[in-house]
Amino acid sequence: MNDFMIETTQLTKMYGGQKAVNCVDLHVRKGRVYGLLGRNGAGKTTIMKMILGLTPITSGEVSVFGQNIKGREKRVYPRIGAIIETPGFYPNLTGTENLEIFARLRGTAAPNAVKDALEIVGLPYKDKKLFSKYSLGMKQRLGIANAILHDPELLILDEPTNGLDPIGIAEMREFIRKLSVEHGKTILLSSHILSEIAVLADEIGIIDHGVLLEETSMAELEKKNSKYILLEVSNVPKATLILERQFGLKDYSVQGDQTLRIYDTALDMAAVNKALVMQNIAVASSQLCNDTLEDYFKKITGGEGIA
Amino acid sequence: MDINVYLLAGLIVSLFVILYLVANLLRVRQQLSFINEALKDLKDGNLNRRVLTQKNDMTRQICYDINEIAITSQSRLIQQKQAEQAYKRLMTSLSHDVKTPLASLVGYLEAIESGFVEGAEKDEYIHVAFEKANRLKEFVATLFEWVKLDAGEQIYHFSVFDINELTRNVVAEWVPILESADMEYNIDIPEKECPVRADLNAYTRILNNLLQNVLTHSGADHLTLGIEDEAHRVKIMVADNGRGISSSDLPHIFERMYQGDHSRSVKGNGLGLSIAKELVTAHKGTITAASVPGTETTFTVLLPKAL
Repeated sequence: MNDFMIETTQLTKMYGGQKAVNCVDLHVRKGRVYGLLGRNGAGKTTIMKMILGLTPITSGEVSVFGQNIKGREKRVYPRIGAIIETPGFYPNLTGTENLEIFARLRGTAAPNAVKDALEIVGLPYKDKKLFSKYSLGMKQRLGIANAILHDPELLILDEPTNGLDPIGIAEMREFIRKLSVEHGKTILLSSHILSEIAVLADEIGIIDHGVLLEETSMAELEKKNSKYILLEVSNVPKATLILERQFGLKDYSVQGDQTLRIYDTALDMAAVNKALVMQNIAVASSQLCNDTLEDYFKKITGGEGIA
Repeated sequence: MDINVYLLAGLIVSLFVILYLVANLLRVRQQLSFINEALKDLKDGNLNRRVLTQKNDMTRQICYDINEIAITSQSRLIQQKQAEQAYKRLMTSLSHDVKTPLASLVGYLEAIESGFVEGAEKDEYIHVAFEKANRLKEFVATLFEWVKLDAGEQIYHFSVFDINELTRNVVAEWVPILESADMEYNIDIPEKECPVRADLNAYTRILNNLLQNVLTHSGADHLTLGIEDEAHRVKIMVADNGRGISSSDLPHIFERMYQGDHSRSVKGNGLGLSIAKELVTAHKGTITAASVPGTETTFTVLLPKAL
């Protein structure tokens, strides 16, 4: 028994002789936001399409809600909401009419599903405006409304902020955060923008040329990403005194009985070590931590970087 | 002859009726099996599970009710989890926020006690230690105030005040502080009376915290305080031209212990804005912030007028 909402094993997709997705083992945990990061054409959309059964799987397996998806499609798909590329809406109908069609096709979970979904994404209910007259931002919102119309447990969002203006992007982020934090939904999303994933995701999967290079949690990455000097000394109070008096340092915090974090990384550590030792304080270690996320991704992708 | 035709017609009609009923029975049976599966899932703790239902479904109302129960329990569970997490975060940051000044305080006292410093330097050490002890005391007091607010144990004494008069009185006490901090200010409070149901101490605290926040964190040299009388509510704005708040920090600034610069700055305790928010909420009002870093950062409090 595991708590993976989506798990793929050795998932592979061949287009002609080319491996678009190569033996991907993806793990999306319940209640988390999983960000799939990779350049355009890395295979993100293809993975999502295979999970949703929109394109046949060459080899490998997909299991959703803890069960293999094969033969259970009818029971599984109603529990997923998705936006993959531009959603297919009827251009000559209004947003409300479009959603009502989808509501009838899929069924609903609450009496006013269409009205509620529109309200959540900030579009007017029973508006006269035709879908063909919608702006890109409105189309994207309607896509989201359609994805959440049946209140699904799992959302799969392919590049949800693509083509939105800065305000739209901020709104979309806030919205995705809300779905996760306040409603406990599990979300799989993709993006080619590092900062986008960094603000939204709890877990992150880095994909390059169809290969999943790494799966890790944001919390783990953030630890690597902060800038500070970690100092391990025998006498913390005495050390703080020396730092304050001799080096005029104010921006530090005491972590444990023997460890200090100094946030001013420009500090001359050689001089600090010397001063501490002179006062009979043993310095067990002093290390500078200043990896940035970009550095990390460069390392992972073999120097090319991501975005 | 005639009778036979009627019999045949009757037979055909009843055949259709039977077919219709059987189809209906099968449909309901399938829907019941869906409900059954969803209920089992809900019972196992997956509160995000929903039962979808179609327009002409006999079980429609039952499905909606099941969903509603699931949604209610889910949101209760999430709230509980969030409170737990917040408490955990509070305890960790608390341990750092108390540990750091305490360690430094011990450092100073140790130096004095061991005779490491003498004469004027010793006096200065005592002075610094005393200040640090006072700051720690203040921090602990603020913390208790916050905990009390958070637990809903604060008792308010509401009565109707002229908010303009009240604000003028509070600001009057700030004028010398602003002047000694070389902060230019622009205060625009209408003459006309504006009645608001408020707790005198709480309202004073809200203003104090907002002004203190500008003073300690913004690095601004100009502050604006304005009140606008709107139809059913009153708008109190505190703006500065300081370094501002980045859009990624903006959604979090009212959370307890959130400090924008990610380092533990010496000043401030990360509680002021969180307390202000609790107090504004107790007045059935809202507090929001908007910022263009380096140009203008505005905190806006909206309170309902007593009519």
